[in-house]
Amino acid sequence: MADEALFLLLHNEMVSGVYKSAEQGEVVSAAKALEENGRCITKLENMGFRVGQGLIERFTKDTARFKDELDIMKFICKDFWTTVFKKQIDNLRTNHQGIYVLQDNKFRLLTQMSAGKQYLEHASKYLAFTCGLIRGGLSNLGIKSIVTAEVSSMPACKFQVMIQKL
Amino acid sequence: MAVCVAVIAKENYPLYIRSIPTENELKFHYMVHTSLDVVDEKISAMGKALVDQRELYLGLLYPTEDYKVYGYVTNSKVKFVMVVDSSNTALRDNEIRSMFRKLHNSYTDVMCNPFYNPGDRIQSRAFDSMVTSMMIQVLSRAPCCRAGEALWA
Amino acid sequence: MDAPEEPLPPVIYTMENKPIVTCAGDQNLFTSIYPTLSQQLPREPMEWRRSYGRAPKMIHLESNFVQFKEELLPKEGNKALLTFPFLHIYWTECCDTEVYKATVKDDLTKWQNVLKAHSSVDWLIVVVENDAKKKNKTNILPRTSIVDKIRNDFCNKQSDRCVVLSDPLKDSSRTQESWNAFLTKLRTSLLMSFTKNLGRFEDDMRTLREKRTEPGWSFCDYFMVQEELAFVFEMLQQFEDALVQYDELDALFSQYVVNFGAGDGANWLTFFCQPVKSWDGLVLRKPIDMEKRELIQRQEATVLDLRSYLFSRQCTLLLFLQRPWEVAQRALELLHSCVQELKLLEVSVPPGALDCWVFLSCLEVLQRIEGCCDRAQIDSNIAHTVGLWSYATEKLKSLGYLCGLVSEKGPNSEDLNRIVDLLAGLGAERPETANTAQSPYKKLKEALSSVEAFEKHYLDLSHAAIEMHTSIGRTRSARLVGKDLAEFYMRKKSPQKAEIYLQGALKNYLAEGWALPITHTRKQLAECQKHLGQTENYLQTSSLLASDHHVTEEERKHFCQEILSFASRQTDSPGHKIVLPLHCFAQLRDLHFTPSNAVVHVGGVLSVDITMCSQMPVPVHVEQIAINVHFSIEKNNYRKTAEWLTKHKTSNGIINFPTETSPCPASQNNLPALELYEMFERSPSDNSLNTTGIICKNAHMLLRRQESCASLETPSGVALEGGAHVLKCNDVTLEPGANRLMFRTQAKEPGTYTLRQLCVSVGPVRFVLPHLYPLVQYDVYSQEPQLRVEPLADSLLAGIPQKVKFTVTTGHYTVKNGDSLQLSNAEAMLILCHAENRAVIYSNTREKASDVLLRVQSSDKVTSISLPAAPAYHMIEFELEVLSLPSAPVTGGESSMLGMTEPHRKHKDTQKAGHCMATTDHKVSIDCPWSIYSTVIALTFSLPFRTTHSLLSAGTRKYIQVCVQNLSELDFQLSDGNLVDPGSADLQLVPLNAKSPQHTHSKQSVFFVWELKWAREPPPSLHCQFSVGFAPASEGQLSIPLKPYTYEFQVENFFTLYNVRAEILPPSGTEHCRTGSLCSLEVSITRLSGLLEVDKDEALSESDEYFSTKLMYEVVDNSSNWAVCGKSSGVISMPVVAQATHRVHMEVMPLFAGYLPLPDVRLFKYLPHHSAHSSQLDADSWIENDSLSVDKHVDDQLDSSSIKSRGSVHSASSSEHKGLPMPRLQALPPGQVFNSSMGMQVLVIPSKDDHVLEVSVT
Repeated sequence: MADEALFLLLHNEMVSGVYKSAEQGEVVSAAKALEENGRCITKLENMGFRVGQGLIERFTKDTARFKDELDIMKFICKDFWTTVFKKQIDNLRTNHQGIYVLQDNKFRLLTQMSAGKQYLEHASKYLAFTCGLIRGGLSNLGIKSIVTAEVSSMPACKFQVMIQKL
Repeated sequence: MAVCVAVIAKENYPLYIRSIPTENELKFHYMVHTSLDVVDEKISAMGKALVDQRELYLGLLYPTEDYKVYGYVTNSKVKFVMVVDSSNTALRDNEIRSMFRKLHNSYTDVMCNPFYNPGDRIQSRAFDSMVTSMMIQVLSRAPCCRAGEALWA
Repeated sequence: MDAPEEPLPPVIYTMENKPIVTCAGDQNLFTSIYPTLSQQLPREPMEWRRSYGRAPKMIHLESNFVQFKEELLPKEGNKALLTFPFLHIYWTECCDTEVYKATVKDDLTKWQNVLKAHSSVDWLIVVVENDAKKKNKTNILPRTSIVDKIRNDFCNKQSDRCVVLSDPLKDSSRTQESWNAFLTKLRTSLLMSFTKNLGRFEDDMRTLREKRTEPGWSFCDYFMVQEELAFVFEMLQQFEDALVQYDELDALFSQYVVNFGAGDGANWLTFFCQPVKSWDGLVLRKPIDMEKRELIQRQEATVLDLRSYLFSRQCTLLLFLQRPWEVAQRALELLHSCVQELKLLEVSVPPGALDCWVFLSCLEVLQRIEGCCDRAQIDSNIAHTVGLWSYATEKLKSLGYLCGLVSEKGPNSEDLNRIVDLLAGLGAERPETANTAQSPYKKLKEALSSVEAFEKHYLDLSHAAIEMHTSIGRTRSARLVGKDLAEFYMRKKSPQKAEIYLQGALKNYLAEGWALPITHTRKQLAECQKHLGQTENYLQTSSLLASDHHVTEEERKHFCQEILSFASRQTDSPGHKIVLPLHCFAQLRDLHFTPSNAVVHVGGVLSVDITMCSQMPVPVHVEQIAINVHFSIEKNNYRKTAEWLTKHKTSNGIINFPTETSPCPASQNNLPALELYEMFERSPSDNSLNTTGIICKNAHMLLRRQESCASLETPSGVALEGGAHVLKCNDVTLEPGANRLMFRTQAKEPGTYTLRQLCVSVGPVRFVLPHLYPLVQYDVYSQEPQLRVEPLADSLLAGIPQKVKFTVTTGHYTVKNGDSLQLSNAEAMLILCHAENRAVIYSNTREKASDVLLRVQSSDKVTSISLPAAPAYHMIEFELEVLSLPSAPVTGGESSMLGMTEPHRKHKDTQKAGHCMATTDHKVSIDCPWSIYSTVIALTFSLPFRTTHSLLSAGTRKYIQVCVQNLSELDFQLSDGNLVDPGSADLQLVPLNAKSPQHTHSKQSVFFVWELKWAREPPPSLHCQFSVGFAPASEGQLSIPLKPYTYEFQVENFFTLYNVRAEILPPSGTEHCRTGSLCSLEVSITRLSGLLEVDKDEALSESDEYFSTKLMYEVVDNSSNWAVCGKSSGVISMPVVAQATHRVHMEVMPLFAGYLPLPDVRLFKYLPHHSAHSSQLDADSWIENDSLSVDKHVDDQLDSSSIKSRGSVHSASSSEHKGLPMPRLQALPPGQVFNSSMGMQVLVIPSKDDHVLEVSVT
């Protein structure tokens, strides 16, 4: 992984870049705005997806084969998270029905942004990429999933992974 | 040393398959495809195994009269299959293992290549020549992993 | 028990073998003890410590007790281990010294000597004693003495070599003890002997192995030696160790073969390389295959013999070890390696012989395993055995093909001979299998006996194999066997049986996207379908193959030809069509509309260009290519107009079709894309943001289980849909690769047309693309004719001719000759019709169609423009000049001025000389030929000028200045400005202006000035009328004379009533003022006229002889050059009499040196309070409306400051009489006061002492 500062800054630029390019097409109605916003989120998420695929390929090159789904999730929370965000996920919960909640109490990409509710309305932009990262990683490990996120007070945030049963 | 090297996607379609001599390519395709049976078996068995036994190298999948088929599966469920001529008895297990490692490294690079779209057939020249290096070894007994390494290192 | 009597036979039956122990001395005694002994010995296990750090083992010892004979002792160099006596025991129950001395001693000595001679040191002497004996003996020495004697006679220093066994046949505790002691002794010494002797043996063996590079060395000899060891281990039930011996031999041999392959062959190998004559597979049913062993011993074994023997032994041991599955696995490896070795050693093997051998071996192994496991075990371990099964199947198959058993007309003579030879190589069936029905031998013999028998056996095997594979989920392997089966059936000319297998396999390969197998299987399937006469399927497969790039060019041509020839054959018998999917025949690349926006008006022509890639290797002539079009009427009328459509369509009009993905079912592709959205959760109480996040809108779709995509080989289930609207093009020849096809259609009904299904017909064959994707549509619209009128410039200027553009969109209306537009003129706007007005006619797509002269006649009321004839869906464009008569709106000057200056004010605040011109609208109603209603259009003109006026005075002389500001972008010529006051005759206005025309650039102003002169008393107000001729500076000569620009306004109270003079005098004695020193300010206010109309107001008060009015003066110095000392303002009552003067004296102090302007003196009318409006007036309100009144004519910054200063004054004064009624101040109109000292300056000299200045400043 590149130097984390570099990663953080690059990530910020990426977000603003995506949103700028979106502004070119002037937004008319609020609904349109929301949709546009969604498009940006999705775009960021897709970027993350591809990156996740590549990363996981590298990271798992020398690890033992995974026993099961949970084993993989643990890997994501520990090794993967540590390599990307320099810390582990603080709490992993699951209902054993294919839903996992990863909680990070001090999420790298939010820490330098705010401590509390300031800029909360922008927070989700900065989670989209990571959602993709997780989804990409999992999908490359053969787990189709949907990853969503939630912030109520930065820099803590939750990622929810819904696994598609095959 | 290999006569056929194949990379097979999670979904079991070939991402890359190359064999020498090319005339009985078809035979190798059948062979590799069939070997997936054993790969699946081993992977499912693998789940139960202990951590230390869960290595990516699957060992000999099945021998036939003229060939030995070895398997390897990445954590991303991409399978590598290598067919070796049975007459080539000099080949030891750990040599095969190391060849697979090389394949894996090279594959990882392919995955991280912006011009490669995951799930597509592999067209990377670097990868190709690395495979070639593994194949020519049979002709020149010399340990010509060098060539391979040079390519992906 | 007489077993010990006979000499040992040299034959070996391993299992029966036990280590040999010899017995010398009293035989009867031994015989009596033997039963107990033999059953007691194995009862207790004993730990065996091993040499070479091998793990110790517990073993139950047994041994074979034989009578001692000298010949039993091994001669020098005899390596035999099985026949080796490991222990020698001497038995005696002698108890008196005489007997001992007499016989026993000598006997013992003899025994000992023999042993010594053979240097065997493992011996034991047992003295049995029982009380019965010593009863009848009288002269008894203490019994111990015998033992002692023996001990010191024979076992010097190893007294334990002599053991006492007392009353062995009694049942007493003492007996027990002695037994135990004895047995332990026996066991230990046995084990010691093993360790010693085996150790020695292994050493010898090792040295022998080291010699293997020496020329004379023979593998077979060595084999025998090591096997000896194996036997012993086996004898001791140490199967692991035994197996190890064989594995070592196995490895050693393999190594030799490999080396041989590598070039250095040991000469002994040549024995093994003799041609194979017998191939009766493995024999696993007896512990040892003696005849093979002898072959090896005699060095006559072939590789197969050796391998078979080795494996049979390994098998036996593995089975002892309960590892049947390892047997199976090893067997497969063995068979493979044997085949390899034979190749490597270049052993000549008759064709088929190996197949027989392998086949037999496989079955033998399988049967052996089945023999020792129950069904359940076998079923749960199919994974291990299935390999052998399919290998056997494979071999049987190749035998079948070899011997011509796979053909409808059986084997020929040559085949028969071969069969005979092969059978000969099997030799006679072995006795042990002779009476088992299903023995491998019988099976093979039978299978080779006849075509039918072969088929039966082959099918059995194949089905078994398939079943097993599928049962353990090895579908692919099963498919492969199935394909072999299919080939077999094809050979047997029963394609109907073959088909399912091929279909099955093909399905599997398609599902997993394996191109080459797909192609190959398809070829087979094609042949099969051809035989079955499944025309449709065959054609489809053919088309697929013809378009397949893994197939050779010739083959592709062939399959393509198949289709074409079928097509040509069928043409005569029409009716029955064959529908095939298009994608295997051709693919759509892109589609392109002209007009590119895919919008045409009714009756218009639309053409569709399609690029179609033919997959066929040769040009194909096609009767027709048809596209079914679905028609739907648009609800929304507006949607049918050209503008809308052109706006809302992809203008480039090229639609690209996705290329058919080569068989590569990447699962993520067929998933719908995620739709993520931001989520904001606000708290219900205050609307503050609680949580934000990312949510997925279409999670339900994504998480849904994926149903495996249906039959990838789309069966020709595509229905031909007939439709009213069809785009056709006939008789095309599709070249391989890209072809451009052109479809033309004339638009009929308005609405939306969707291209649905594409169908290519070659004879009766229809290649159909059921749905065009992405959606392809074109729209047909019909449009109402309409007229649009718009200015050319962004704004029209009033007063000068302006161009206006008329656009007539004909829509569905055709303009005939004589059609005209009737414009009803607006009075203030006229349409200037020139000699030549030209109209241009454009087609719908903006191509210029023609350019014609336009006739415009205009009467005073109506202007009629006769339109040129134009077809429907065209545009007529022409320009007309219109002129709006300029005039400052005639509503009274005052208001109009406000109206015009108001915006000006605003702009002034934000320092923008913005032009916001007053505008006037003109409505014109036009009658168009296509409708009975007249369309009304409004044109807005803006006035280019803004005019303001002001009154200037010099003493009693008066001047009027008019400023004309040009707000437009154009430059103008202003000429002969003129001002008149029609009202008052005796008043004359003397112009002081240049005669020559003035040039005003855009955003510039021009000023005009007149002096007012009058004889008698002037009227209180003037009503002026200003007019100026103007023309755009740019164009030299205008078509028509323009009306001059006029502007009306009023001037009031312009007559000067008061003259104010101020004067500053230096302190007496000095001729100049000094900073900081007081000077006197003399203000004199002079009344210039007697009583006038304008004075009539409440300020006027009448005293006895004259009228007087109240004025308030005020000295203000905004530039704060002066400090006014004492009161700066005051109220005076002014007699209303000419030359009445009022002087005011006050002190002022200059604050700076230099020429200072005098402080300003102002005059106000001082209106006493009137009860009428006292109540509502309070301090602020009066300042307010006072300021308002002041605002009127005084310009801004001045009056604002005056308010300030005055405000300060009055708030000060007003503070004491709060709530009391207030007098009002009213500024005198600027015309009425003339300040004659305005602009005067006084020289002030700096004073010596600055600090005073300091003070005054601070």
